[in-house]
Order: sequence, then C-alpha cells, then structure tokens
Amino acid sequence: MRPELARILRWSLLSLGLAAGLLVLWFLAAIFADQAVEYDDVVEHFKHGSIGSEPGESLLRPVGGVLPPYWVFKALPSICRDKLPGGYASLGLIEEQGHDLPIGVSRRRRLGVDQVGLNCAVCHTGTLRDSPSAPRRIVVGMPAHQLDLQRFVEFILDCTLDNRVTAENIRGRFPRSGGPSLMERVVYRLGVVDRLKIQTLDLRNRIGPLLGDRVPRWGAGRVDTFNPYKAIQFNWPLERLPLSELVGASDFPSLWNQKPREGLHLHWDGDNDSVDERNLSAGLGAGITPVTADHANIKRVRDWIWTLPPPKYPYPVDMALAARGAALYGANCVACHADHRFKDGVVSGDRVGQVEPIERIGTDRHRLDSYTEAFAANQFLLFPDSPYRFTHFRKTHGYANHPLDGIWARAPYLHNGSVPTLRDLLEPPDLRPRAFYRGYDVFDQNRVGFVSDVPDENGRQFTRYDTAVPGNGNGGHVYGTKLADAEKAAIVEYMKTF
Amino acid sequence: MSSWLRGRRGRLFVAALAVAGLGIGVVLWNAFYRERPAPYFESDEDHFLYGSIGTEAQNGVPYWIWLVLPRIFPEFLPGPGGYAALGLLSSGGHELPIGLSRVTIGVPRVSINCAFCHTTSVRTAPDAPRLLVAGGPSNQTSTQGYLRFLFACASDPRFTADVILAEIARNHRLSALERLSYRLVIIPRTRKKLLEMKDQYAWADRNPDWGPGRVDPFNPMKFGNLGQTMDATVGNSDTMPVWNAGGSEGRAYHWDGLNTSLQEVVLSSALGDGTTTRWLDRDFARWNATESREMASLRRVQNYIGQRRPPKYPLAVDAGLAANGAAVYKAQCAECHDDGAKRAGAIIPIDEIGTDPSRLAMWTASAATAYNAYGQGHAWAFKAFRKTNGYVAVSLDGIWLRAPYLHNGSVPTLADLLEPPEARPKRFWRGFDLLDSVRVGFVSAGAEAERSGTLFDTNLPGNSNAGHTYGTRLSPESKRALMEYLKTR
Repeated sequence: MRPELARILRWSLLSLGLAAGLLVLWFLAAIFADQAVEYDDVVEHFKHGSIGSEPGESLLRPVGGVLPPYWVFKALPSICRDKLPGGYASLGLIEEQGHDLPIGVSRRRRLGVDQVGLNCAVCHTGTLRDSPSAPRRIVVGMPAHQLDLQRFVEFILDCTLDNRVTAENIRGRFPRSGGPSLMERVVYRLGVVDRLKIQTLDLRNRIGPLLGDRVPRWGAGRVDTFNPYKAIQFNWPLERLPLSELVGASDFPSLWNQKPREGLHLHWDGDNDSVDERNLSAGLGAGITPVTADHANIKRVRDWIWTLPPPKYPYPVDMALAARGAALYGANCVACHADHRFKDGVVSGDRVGQVEPIERIGTDRHRLDSYTEAFAANQFLLFPDSPYRFTHFRKTHGYANHPLDGIWARAPYLHNGSVPTLRDLLEPPDLRPRAFYRGYDVFDQNRVGFVSDVPDENGRQFTRYDTAVPGNGNGGHVYGTKLADAEKAAIVEYMKTF
Repeated sequence: MSSWLRGRRGRLFVAALAVAGLGIGVVLWNAFYRERPAPYFESDEDHFLYGSIGTEAQNGVPYWIWLVLPRIFPEFLPGPGGYAALGLLSSGGHELPIGLSRVTIGVPRVSINCAFCHTTSVRTAPDAPRLLVAGGPSNQTSTQGYLRFLFACASDPRFTADVILAEIARNHRLSALERLSYRLVIIPRTRKKLLEMKDQYAWADRNPDWGPGRVDPFNPMKFGNLGQTMDATVGNSDTMPVWNAGGSEGRAYHWDGLNTSLQEVVLSSALGDGTTTRWLDRDFARWNATESREMASLRRVQNYIGQRRPPKYPLAVDAGLAANGAAVYKAQCAECHDDGAKRAGAIIPIDEIGTDPSRLAMWTASAATAYNAYGQGHAWAFKAFRKTNGYVAVSLDGIWLRAPYLHNGSVPTLADLLEPPEARPKRFWRGFDLLDSVRVGFVSAGAEAERSGTLFDTNLPGNSNAGHTYGTRLSPESKRALMEYLKTR
C-alpha cells in the first residue's frame, strides 16, 4: 500500500470514529436531558409548569407519569375520535387561547422526547359563567368542579392501548412544521410507543378495579385520592380490598390561602397537618415519584398558594342581609369553620381544623374508610432517605372542620360534593336534592353553587349525581337546618363575603 | 520476571499493586461489612420499639430490598397493605413498623427486635382510635407470616437484580457503584441467605401454623445453635406480655418456667431473634453503664420491661359488680394468681393443670443443658436454663389485654375460659384487635374478624383448649362478677 493511501485511510477511519463517538454523545445527552418548559409568571407556572410528573429516569423502564409523550397525547383525540368526539375540552379540561395544552398539563423534555404530565392546576382550576351566554371565567386555585378526571384517565388508557395507536400512526401525524426535532424522530423509532403500551397496560392492570362501573363513578369534580395511590405507589392488589374501601371519591378542594392552614388537619378526613407533605402527596396523584419529583418547581407553586387570596364573590352582595347572617353564623357555624376573616389569616373558633368524629358529623363514611392504618404505614416509607419522607399522616375517625374561605366557589358541598348549593346544605338531609347534575358551570347566585339541573350542553354530558349510590350520601351535617328560611338566606348572603 | 520484580520499577509496581489492593479492600469493606452505630433513641420506649438488638448482621434484609419486596410480590402477602397485611404496626410517622430496626452494615439492613412480638394493638370500638401498647403480647403480628413472605420472595424466579433494581429505581436513586454491588453481590447473597433460612425452618411447615400472636419460641434455637436432634415437637404458644418483667429473684420465666433469670431471658431471647454472640459480647461489655447512650442495648430493654406497667382497662368498670367479683377471685383464683400467694409463680404440674402438653414437651433437659453450655467462655454465659414439668401460674396483670387465653392462645375470651372445655369455642378467628368488653378478649367471630384474622382450630396438635377448669362451675352471676373484677387487674 502506498504510504499516502494508508495515511488517508487512517485519517478517514479516525474521523469516522470521532463522528460516531460524537453522535453517541449527542444521543446520550438528548436521552439524559431533563428540561421543563419554564414560565416567568407564577400563574402561568401554576397552570402550565411541570412539577416533575412526566416519566423519567430510565429509557427502558420509565418511572412515574400518567400521560403519554407529547406527540401521542396530541394525537389521541383524533385517532380515537369515536371515544371522545368533543376532545379533551369535553371532559372539562380547560383550553385557553395561545396554549396548545390544556391547563394542568405540563411539558418537559425527558428520556429524549417531549413528555407531558399533570400538575396541580388540573384539579385546582375551575370555571364559571354568569349565564349560559356569558363568557367563561377561569379561577385559579378553585376546585375543578367541571373536570371528569376519571373519564380523562380512562380515555388516555383506552386510547393508548387501542390498535390504531401505532408508532407509524403517531409519526404520520407529526405536523409538517413545528414537529419533533430530528433526534426526537429518531427516538420515536426506538420503540417508544411499544414501551408506552407496556407501561399503560401495567397502569391499567393496577387501577383496573377502580375503572368502569365496578365501583361508583367519580363523576365531575371528584377524585378518589388514595385508592389509585395504593395501587400505583405500593402495588396493592385492589381487587382483594373490601368494596367499601374502594369507594373513596370526594371533591377537589380549593388551593388558595394555605398559610393559615398549616397545623390544621388537612384532607377531608384530616389525615395530615403539614401543608408541604399534603402538597407532595397530592403530587403523587398527579404522577410524580420520589425520584422524578421537581421539588423546586413544586416549591414555587407552594409559595404562591401560601398567600394566594380566595377569589372575591363577583356579584353584588346585600350587605344588610349579610350583616344579619354574620350574627347567625357566629351562633351556629364559627366554632368549627372560622368566619370571613380566615382569608386574612384569622382563625376564630376552637374546633377549626379539628376532626369531628363520624358519629357526630354523620356524613357519608366511605371516604373516611378509604384511608386505613395500613395505608398510613405504607406512606411512611415514601420519599425514603430524603428530607421529604412522610411523617405526618395518621388514620382518623371522622371528617375535619375546614375553613370556608372562598366557599362560594367551592360548590357542590360536603366532602363528597353531594349537596349542590349552600342553601340546600341548610335544609335537613331528606329535603336536599336526591339527584342533580354536576359539571355545568353557570353560577346560581340565588342558592350559591352551580345550576344543577342541566344534563347536557352542546353535546357535552354532565354527571348525573345520585345520592343513593354508595359514597354519594347527602346525610349528616345538619347544623343550621332548623333555622327559619329568612335566617338561612341571611347566612348564605354572609358566606358570599368569605 | 523475578529479577524484574527486584528492580526499581518492579518494586514500584508491587507497591502500587499493594496500594490498589488495599484500596479495593477498603472499598469492599465499606460496601459490605462496615458497621455503623445503630440509631440512638432518646426514650427507652422508642428504643424498645425501634432500636437495634443486634439481629441485623445475621438476619438483616438489605433495606432497599426489604422496601420493595411487598411491591414486587404482593401475592405472597395475606392481603393488600404491604407489611401491614402481616399485622406489623406502624405509628407516629416512624419509617419502619414497630419491631423492626435499621442498621447499616455495609448497606442499610432491616431486622427484628423484641417489640416485633411484644406490642399489642387494641380498639375499644370500630371507630375508636387504635391504641398501641408496648410490652403487651402481640395479638396481630404474624411472625411466621413475615418469615414465609421473605422465603416465598426468595424462592420466586423474579427475585433477580433486574426486577429488584427496577423497583428500587422507582423510590431511590442508587449510585452506579451501589447498583453494581446490589446486582453482583447484595441481591444474590440475600436470596441465598433467605433460602438457607427457609431450609432451616422447614420443620415448622410440618407443624400447625403459628398464626398471629404466636411463635414457636425455642425450636428454632434448639434445632439451630443448640444442635439438638430434630424432633416432631410443637412449641407453638402465645407471645407473652413483657411488662412487669422484673419480679423477685428466682421468678420462673416463659410459659413452663424454663429459666429463672430475667437477664438470661432477655439475652437468650435476643439470640433466638438472630443476635450474634459477637454482638452480644460487645453489648454485654456495656451492661453496667449508667448513661443510656452508653448503656447496652439489651440492658435498656431489660430496664424498660422491668418498669413497664400494663395499661388500665380503657372502658368503664362496674365497681359494685367488680367488688363482688373480688370475693369470687379470692376464693377461686388468688391462691395461684395473686402476687405473693402460696402458689403464685409456681409451676403447676401438667397432670394437675391439664392444658395442652405440647409446649412443655418441646423443651428437654438436654436442650437446657446445651443452652447452659452455649455461652461458655462468654461473660454472659447462661446457667439458669432448666427442664420443668408443668406450666407457670402466671400473674394476671393487664389480663384484659392478653387474649386469647391459656399458653397456646386456645380460648378467645375470659368468658369462654370460665366454661368447661367442651363448651369452649372449637374454632375462632385470631388477630382482630377489637375489644369484646362483654366476654373480655378480642372479637373472634364475624365478617371483620374473619377478614383481618386467621382461623384457629383447637383440634390441631398444640392447639387444645382443654384443662384449667377452675371457676367453670361458678354460677353465671359469679362468672360475670369475676370477669368484671379481672378487668381491674
């Protein structure tokens, strides 16, 4: 061989090797990159920012997450149009101009592709309208009374496992411009969709006993906080739990004004008195894990809701009537629920945030029974060997007395959302509505709550709530039910000022 | 070659090799053997509940494996709930359940302590908060269930590094070096060790199940460390309360009184739980330290159970009825069960007491001799083991919380114990913690008792509910009065 040729060969081999090495490095850098879409504005961060609930850690066995990667998430409604003709919005997810993902869905680059995850806002942002034709108001921190989370999760699982969802079909739906990067397209060719199906199958197997009609449906505005958690975090075989323990659906709470809540018993049954631990526990429900949680981003939300004021009642208030109501409220309600000053941090009432025994409060006990000593024991093992390990959880035997800041925006009422309006709550249980509709967001200024007799609107079905179904009982909490009608009206007027 | 080694470069090479070898040795020692001080607990009670008694080195399951096993193998548990499904009790935000301690020996390891078998859970009503009583007999915890769960995991083909590391990765980020050592050493060795233990316990599968709240306390030691010939005895018996453990010199301990020294009972029980003699030597050297931080771990346990008192009956007691009962007690029971009375603490011959003889037959003179010889050469050597011919007339302190009754837990309530043997329940459910204030004991029938309990069959070997017929001929009124009085003991 001529020496020049050998040299050229040597050089070309060397450069080829170098190029291959760089390619591998580039690929590894892309796989290991962990980059959330960040927002300067904290409200935007709350609505769209990532708390780390996207899958991560391992390309072959991704950890955490509930939702499929971004391009799959975007494609599902069009692939499975028959399963969800109205798109995500028809499930009560809030879509806003200028955002390609609904409120509560975050975007983050992990494992080489754009992933999406749930954040706090998905369950804690609500809508309301003054009338059917009025524009929609979006209230951050408000319970997402319009969201049917269970149907959302079911749709994601069903459609992801649908035969029409294939790698080819997803790739075929990449937009001509603004689609995934070259690297992401490469990763999509490496079995992302196949692995997604395996993870989805695992998730569906775990929470299967909670899906379909095997247990009463959650319906709009509600979630079973702890049963999915038992299966997803701890792999409890749910089918071996007594059915009564699987009926845990309860209303989303509001997120505002957390500072004066520290030390009160939080969650409906008062199972924790640390705001931070409660926050992190809720994050597990959204799909974070001890290894994939983004603690800095969670803290940013935490600091913001610490002092976020409850929304002011947006309609006129009869102040004279409210003043009469204040006196009645003071006599009947304040000891357990504090008053309108709680929004300013004033905790009046010595039973605020305490747990009321179930025999005394008498409301539906299913949610209480869904939380057990055994579950608390398992929670103590979460976030192991870290400063975040759970230590405040405990089994209680009743429901906690919650402060009522912004209560006008927290309908329907009671922990299971079984009473549509404040005015109904002041009626004895047998006079409260036996069945009504949830999810419709036109506000009822008269009874304070949402209009609850509308079954559907423009093809979107709302949840029919039947109080005879296990877990949906509207009994108990009979305080104030013996007052005169005029007195009840006055109390309701006063509570608009909370 | 050898001349090269003697050269300057050679010597350098050898030195480098030695340094490298030493380095690797230190890394290996650190990764697998380095024992860190056990976590210190301020209160004696927390030390009793969560502190180490030195069982980790021999029987400790590496923490990260222990953490994920229930999540990988939930089908080997009696129900959903992780370790809680075996009746392990957790409380107050403590990471580990009561009765488990965590010590780092190379890697963090989890193993049992005294509280595993000596903590009672009780509720006075279905919606009443659960009361946990340290030092009471464990009525819920299934020791055999815990062992069998670990054995079943180790026997499963999925007990592999791939599966276990993947589950750990959902909870904690191990370093690359840690992952390597788990993959190559820790996981395979844990599996091997558990399978060895499974073999050592094979005899127990030929006997009736221990069930919640019971253990075979001496056969494991007898066939193991004491080297006794394998026999077919059934030692299954209730875990005992350890409150008021002090007592007077020469008090008979264990159901058959096979030892008379509290110190020996504490030390030998630790050995039975898996403590090594090497650890015991070290601990015993600090026996008489006065500062609790310096004091022997087992001395702290002994001090704690010596001064621990049983809890008062948590519900109302009918004082008038109880006063009547006191008279019945004095006439019928005091002779054997009243502290200081003639036969209190005495060993009642088996022919006289007539209860199931299996537990007594389990312990032999040869085993006693062997245990007394076992510690020879150690500062803590035993001498008080013996063979007896009956069961101890035990003190009835906190008797309301000690159901089921008799040494083998064969009678669910005091009311049943006051019935003639043929009228006592033949099958009932153990392991439910709801107090039955009428019959005095735990609720042992019904859907809830079945769901959280285990069926106890008095027809099985070691489970007989015969004997101890005292008071069975009393009138119904006298029995009611006597039971009311016993709530105050």
